[in-house]
Amino acid sequence: MAPFAGEEAEGTLNYAKQIKYWRRHLRTFLPHHYTGNDSNRMTFAYFILAATDILGDLDSALSAEDRQGYIEWVYQCQLPDGGFRAFPGTDFGDGARSDDNAPWDPANIPGTFFALSILVLLRDDLSRVKRRETLRWLKKMQRPNGSFGEALGENDVVEGGNDSRFGYMGTGIRYILRGNVEGPVEGVPDIDVDSFVKCVQIAETYDGGLSEAPLHEAHAGFAACAIAALAFIDRLPTSSGASDDRPRGITNLPLTLHWLASRQTLTLDDEDALDTLNDETDSAATCHDAHAFVKLGSHPSKQGSLSFENQPTSHFELQWVGVNGRCNKIGDTCYAYWTCAPLALLGHLDIIDRKPIRRWLLDRTQHMVGGFGKLPGDFPDIYHSFLGLMTLSIFGEAGLKDTDVLLNMSNKAKEHLLSLAWRREIVGN
Amino acid sequence: MAPTFYHDDPKWSNIKPIPQNDTARPLAAIAYTDEYSEAMSYLRAVMAKNEYSHRVLGLTDHIISMNPAHYTIWLYRFKVLSELHADLREEIAWLNVTALKHLKNYQIWHHRQTVIDKLGSPEGEADFIATMLQQDTKNYHVWSYRQFLVQRFGLFDDEGELKWTEGMIEEDVRNNSAWNHRYFLVFGGKGEQTADKAIVERELNYAKAAIKKAPQNQSSWNYLRGVVRRNKLPTSTLKDFALEFADIEKPDDVTSSYALDTLADIYTEYQSKREEAKKALDLLATRYDPVRAHYWNYRKRLLE
Ligand SMILES: [Zn+2]
Repeated sequence: MAPFAGEEAEGTLNYAKQIKYWRRHLRTFLPHHYTGNDSNRMTFAYFILAATDILGDLDSALSAEDRQGYIEWVYQCQLPDGGFRAFPGTDFGDGARSDDNAPWDPANIPGTFFALSILVLLRDDLSRVKRRETLRWLKKMQRPNGSFGEALGENDVVEGGNDSRFGYMGTGIRYILRGNVEGPVEGVPDIDVDSFVKCVQIAETYDGGLSEAPLHEAHAGFAACAIAALAFIDRLPTSSGASDDRPRGITNLPLTLHWLASRQTLTLDDEDALDTLNDETDSAATCHDAHAFVKLGSHPSKQGSLSFENQPTSHFELQWVGVNGRCNKIGDTCYAYWTCAPLALLGHLDIIDRKPIRRWLLDRTQHMVGGFGKLPGDFPDIYHSFLGLMTLSIFGEAGLKDTDVLLNMSNKAKEHLLSLAWRREIVGN
Repeated sequence: MAPTFYHDDPKWSNIKPIPQNDTARPLAAIAYTDEYSEAMSYLRAVMAKNEYSHRVLGLTDHIISMNPAHYTIWLYRFKVLSELHADLREEIAWLNVTALKHLKNYQIWHHRQTVIDKLGSPEGEADFIATMLQQDTKNYHVWSYRQFLVQRFGLFDDEGELKWTEGMIEEDVRNNSAWNHRYFLVFGGKGEQTADKAIVERELNYAKAAIKKAPQNQSSWNYLRGVVRRNKLPTSTLKDFALEFADIEKPDDVTSSYALDTLADIYTEYQSKREEAKKALDLLATRYDPVRAHYWNYRKRLLE
């Protein structure tokens, strides 16, 4: 089909600028406005390295010395009783740590998951990871209701939210250190897998989404984390739909698919909101899909009426489709990932149209200095840049490495994890 | 505002700051300001010796203003408050100001919950929430916090709470957070228990009225469908209502894609209505919701 005037038929990923963007974050200090993310440094470190890897630039970007230096930085964040801190900022230095002050410098679930992921990515053999201690700590991080928290406070109280983000990273730590084996390993008891599944189930919402906690609003970020966690522990619905004796999450798969597909939106910025059907409640602040319905439904375009069965329609507006995280919200780069990743894990990426989402990312939120912003025209940030790139790699963007959607790393990097001798012994292959 | 430093402050002269150990090759290193670096060094020093004092409260306030996501500073602050037997009402007053500066921060809400839980009263919280929602009517943290209050103080059957939620929906019928809160209030306290027939009827009518006001609204339709599903009513209960907005015999007069979606589901349930279901899905894919054409076509394939 001929492209529209002034628009290229296909968006393009600007490799040179993307590589430059990530190299800058690898090589130079992050600007001081990242101070509010100081305690997410391990996470951001992973995003920077993983993006560089997905772009195929990691080996040329790092000298052997850099690689070793970064590995040392990660191990410096490991705690004597297992687990990793999420940033060096809580480290009291040599000899100052005691039982009394340990609650202020605890191992942290995201810190540990991303520390392990970085070590895998940098091809460390994880032999210095305090594996048994970490797994013992992980068990303590699970609450009686099945959920995971962020860190242990005084008297081993599990602190932090009880949402699926920590469930995802908790089950991810387990997956990295002991694969999918259920039951005790090397004398360390397993987490309670069944009660975790239960805790995901009760956070399913009336519209088919998943939320932070039972009866909270459905949210793509929590849906994605919950579904990925179930994938880590092999408790997603079976592809045949057959039930076995193990509890599985996502109790109404068709409804969840409906909810995920409903995240595609034509509301791409606040100005897209328009007064529809004389409905007084619409304002620039309330974004929704009604305007799209008016544009497309009541005034079918020529291309629309010419389109035929099983062929996506080619309305001009449909060239760019955004993805939102909740009902009646505007599109946002990160939700392309939070929606497409669970669809890929559920084996149903085909129920969304990748092409216009890809074009929205490339034409609208990709920034000319590289990276991706949250909304069209926004300045890029590490979080949206990584998730934008991951989405494109899930879509199979030419020139990006194939990635594992669950670990968010290249399959090549994952192979290294699977090849580690100690791990093969545990998982039995 | 001029930066605050501690090294030349006599009140802090007995503290030996602990600098950050970032090794020779740090990852994701941030260009900290001198102010932040120094404050963090003093924080490590007082945390290391478990100091619980008024000056520490000031220090945590200072650091929170620069990095509210610090995950142990909040726990530490709460410990200090407890050890000092501080007035927790003052803490709430401080939080009111601080929360407005950090709308998307998670920890701050957790801290507020801990403090309010200890105070044992939700007094004043409704006003605070109203102020927060003025900034962003769909702020996820605010709505989650509101649920905490309802649960903690048993407000499920509180008339005022339901009225307030109705007001929020009236203000913006597409505010999905408000719809979800209504569902939580009406059905959340009941567990698996079936609801009163009258209540189910009331909720169906409420959603229907909202749909009549704005037929192309995912939130109200999801609510309507959710109420039907939860109370184990057949989807066909909604057939006549859906027909008011979409009829496959009148493909030019559809005023709601969600009505069409509902009809497709109803027809799908009946073996003899497969062709009607396909027709509804076709209309969605080609005319009324082509954004999701792949999804509707997938649904059609399931019928074959
Ligand atoms: Zn985002």
